Amino acid sequence: MPEIRVTPLGAGQDVGRSCILVSIAGKNVMLDCGMHMGFSDDRRFPDFSYITRNGRLTDFLDCVIISHFHLDHCGALPYFSEMVGYDGPIYMTHPTQAICPILLEDYRKIAVDKKGEANFFTSQMIKDCMKKVVAVHLHQTVQVDDELEIKAYYAGHVLGAAMFQIKVGSESVVYTGDYNMTPDRHLGAAWIDKCRPNLLITESTYATTIRDSKRCRERDFLKKVHEAVERGGKVLIPVFALGRAQELCILLETFWERMNLKAPIYFSTGLTEKANHYYKLFITWTNQKIRKTFVQRNMFEFKHIKAFDRAFADNPGPMVVFATPGMLHAGQSLQIFRKWAGNEKNMVIMPGYCVQGTVGHKILSGQRKLEMEGRQVLEVKMQVEYMSFSAHADAKGIMQLVGQAEPESVLLVHGEAKKMEFLKQKIEQELRVSCYMPANGETVTLPTSPSIPVGVSLGLLKREMAQGLLPDAKKPRLLHGTLIMKDSNFRLVSSEQALKELGLAEHQLRFTCRVHLHDPRKEQETALRVYSHLKSVLKDHCVQHLPDGSVTVESILIQAAAHSEDPGTKVLLVSWTYQDEELGSYLTSLLKKGLPQASS
Amino acid sequence: MESAEDWLVESLRLYQDFHAFDLSGATRVLEWIGDKGVFVAGYESLKKNEILHLILPLRLSVKENQGLCPERDFKVCHGGFSDASVFELKHVPDTRLLVTTGLPGSYLHVWQVAEDSDVIQAVSTIAVPEKEGGLWPRVAIFSSMAPGVLHGVRLRSLKVVDLESQKTTYTSGVSDSEELSSLQVLAADTFAFSCASGRLGLVDIRQKWAPSETISPGAGAAGGRWCAEVGGRGPGPSIASLGSNGQLCLFDPRDLSHPVSSAQCSVSAPSPDPELLRVTWAPGLDNCLAISGFDGTVQVYDATSWDGAGRQVEPLFTHRGHIFLEDNQTDTAPLVTTHTWHPHKSRTLLSAASDASLHVWDWVDTRAAH
Repeated sequence: MPEIRVTPLGAGQDVGRSCILVSIAGKNVMLDCGMHMGFSDDRRFPDFSYITRNGRLTDFLDCVIISHFHLDHCGALPYFSEMVGYDGPIYMTHPTQAICPILLEDYRKIAVDKKGEANFFTSQMIKDCMKKVVAVHLHQTVQVDDELEIKAYYAGHVLGAAMFQIKVGSESVVYTGDYNMTPDRHLGAAWIDKCRPNLLITESTYATTIRDSKRCRERDFLKKVHEAVERGGKVLIPVFALGRAQELCILLETFWERMNLKAPIYFSTGLTEKANHYYKLFITWTNQKIRKTFVQRNMFEFKHIKAFDRAFADNPGPMVVFATPGMLHAGQSLQIFRKWAGNEKNMVIMPGYCVQGTVGHKILSGQRKLEMEGRQVLEVKMQVEYMSFSAHADAKGIMQLVGQAEPESVLLVHGEAKKMEFLKQKIEQELRVSCYMPANGETVTLPTSPSIPVGVSLGLLKREMAQGLLPDAKKPRLLHGTLIMKDSNFRLVSSEQALKELGLAEHQLRFTCRVHLHDPRKEQETALRVYSHLKSVLKDHCVQHLPDGSVTVESILIQAAAHSEDPGTKVLLVSWTYQDEELGSYLTSLLKKGLPQASS
Repeated sequence: MESAEDWLVESLRLYQDFHAFDLSGATRVLEWIGDKGVFVAGYESLKKNEILHLILPLRLSVKENQGLCPERDFKVCHGGFSDASVFELKHVPDTRLLVTTGLPGSYLHVWQVAEDSDVIQAVSTIAVPEKEGGLWPRVAIFSSMAPGVLHGVRLRSLKVVDLESQKTTYTSGVSDSEELSSLQVLAADTFAFSCASGRLGLVDIRQKWAPSETISPGAGAAGGRWCAEVGGRGPGPSIASLGSNGQLCLFDPRDLSHPVSSAQCSVSAPSPDPELLRVTWAPGLDNCLAISGFDGTVQVYDATSWDGAGRQVEPLFTHRGHIFLEDNQTDTAPLVTTHTWHPHKSRTLLSAASDASLHVWDWVDTRAAH
């Protein structure tokens, strides 16, 4: 039974630990390999025992696909490939390949150095894992093997994020990963063609939300920065090297210009170098955006934004500084934070999620007293602001994407079925597709009806056409032929051609039936009677009386002979080939009914 | 869009908080449930409409440490589908029931908000005795042990129907054919009505029909269409009547014979769709009103020093967000379809417009010392 099976892995319903297993036409693909950021024990990893309990993962899985670099989509990858064991290919886009190892290493450092965890993957494991990565370009069809192919589509959301189409023959599945349908300042909106997959798999986390506009989020950011700067405070914005940082810089630059503000804005040099490097590599990804940016050659040719020097942190007066790393767990941003935390006029704006164990996570949880190295206690008097800039599709966005791809069915992961009944109804009614919502660990099986293309030989077609009666285009017509399956190729040819190709001799099957008739006359007369009778009854058929006395109906031969023992009985020998079985049987039963009385 | 950027920069000064959302369909309904949830509903005539129970973004409802709360999105808590367009929705207090009305106006629909799932299910209908082409019955709820639904298209068809038994427990019993524009339950036994003509009345349902009433203010003047709202905090008048020409009259409920004060609001043209007129009293500010339904704005007025002369007054604040943040470059400017005040955040309002936008905004009172 052709079917597609999908199992979201892991326990618990929360977001995080994205990891989905898909079985399509005998191929097994793992989509994402994320970490659950809320747990510190094994619960943070997906439950890989679902895949196979005894066998090797490498034998079972045909490939692994990673949608983007967020830890809840790739955080468990080194654990999976090096500690559980997987040696097959791992597909991801080029930016994801470049950024993943950095985030994984950062995360590893925090987990091991800050939280003292044992049994965590090592730096070497991250490197070994990344060696298995095969990078792909957007819209490039990648052959994983003879039958399985994948293709990446632009997803927006973060640099390098992609949606993936997985195709085997005529069956396909599209996995969206995280995506958004509204462009922002440095990324475009997700886009997919009308690929009509059997199934579209997407997150349900934001499916039941209505998102506040990007403009209002930006407004809030500007307002906070402005307020702090107006009162003479210093604003620290810890960022990761890419993406969001550029976005916020462009925003501030525009604002500073319009408001004619004088407070300096700084960008730490480490950031600039890294960012320029990545920018050059991935310019095609940021160029997807729709709105024009005034940044020309160098991402950092800002009028108002300058390179930072650590000495500036002690300068009096207001300023804004973008510094790495993003979670305040080490380096320059942490240094600056320590200097500025004690003044309530100052502000720190955290633009994203912070992993447990980092200073970022602590202050976002409301902690105002931090224990630093050497048992020093840092009192946090500065204003702490948590802002979420990550772009996700909401209810409206999901409907738009489903409308673009036109799948047969939609599958929502990471949600509670009871809390999504309305959404399911909405999708089913408005878009006319079936909607599935499996729990983690639950398998959804979708029956599919794959179409198998069969080539019909020209000879066979011609012969069918020649058999009279023009085919009614609307009615199905029965066709006889031989199906030859060779090398994933299906052909329908005439039996003769098949026999020839296979080098087989044709066998002829002939049946002969005896019908006894009571007729004292000579055989020739009996034959004539048979002829007349059949001629009058079988008006649609070609009935002939041959010179040797036999009667033919089409290709069926009827001969009259005398009965060896009874002169009053004649024996009719009715003979036909296998092909004429139907007519032969009919004739036989007709003749068994007897002949009408001879007239004259 | 240049003007949108300019307005956004202006908005830093004009608003404390500002959130803008896009609903899947425009709403004329903004009905509170508690102080954290609102209902919205579509009013399309040719396709199915959604009724949604939305939970306010955490950032707006959290009382402390707002800065540590990044969630700015509405959550769709419950949803349901309505074939009829929904013009008004009332929640039956202390229950999980809703009553909706709209066109076609032959029935009121009763809905149940499910407890164990996210569905809003149709439960029953209440027949409306008087069925008339383009008119639809207004609705208000008497909440008590046995909730009653007050509804009517005209004064003569006003009645209260027991929600459960559907038995009529009160009728106006008059033959007056004046068309109603709003109904509001004030207490266990009293309600206020306003007619499209501007006529207002307060009714005690324990007595035979004998409302304390106004003489319609618009009758002699420009006419137009009127709606009203009872509310108000502070020592001044507590009934506001708004006309489609922008005239606003304030009444004292103890003496409806003449308005206590009146003013001409700063609207550039009469309302293009007077059924969308809305006037509301601020629950958290003295003598403060908001009006909408004339264009893409919501205007806030302080009526403290108004007199009876009907002079032109300037709003305390004008919300222009629906005009400036309009994404689709359509020819028709959006029209604000409804607005409401937050129950306890004194300067926070919600407003919705015909382009399916929904704004939540907290305006800065420039008069207050900072």
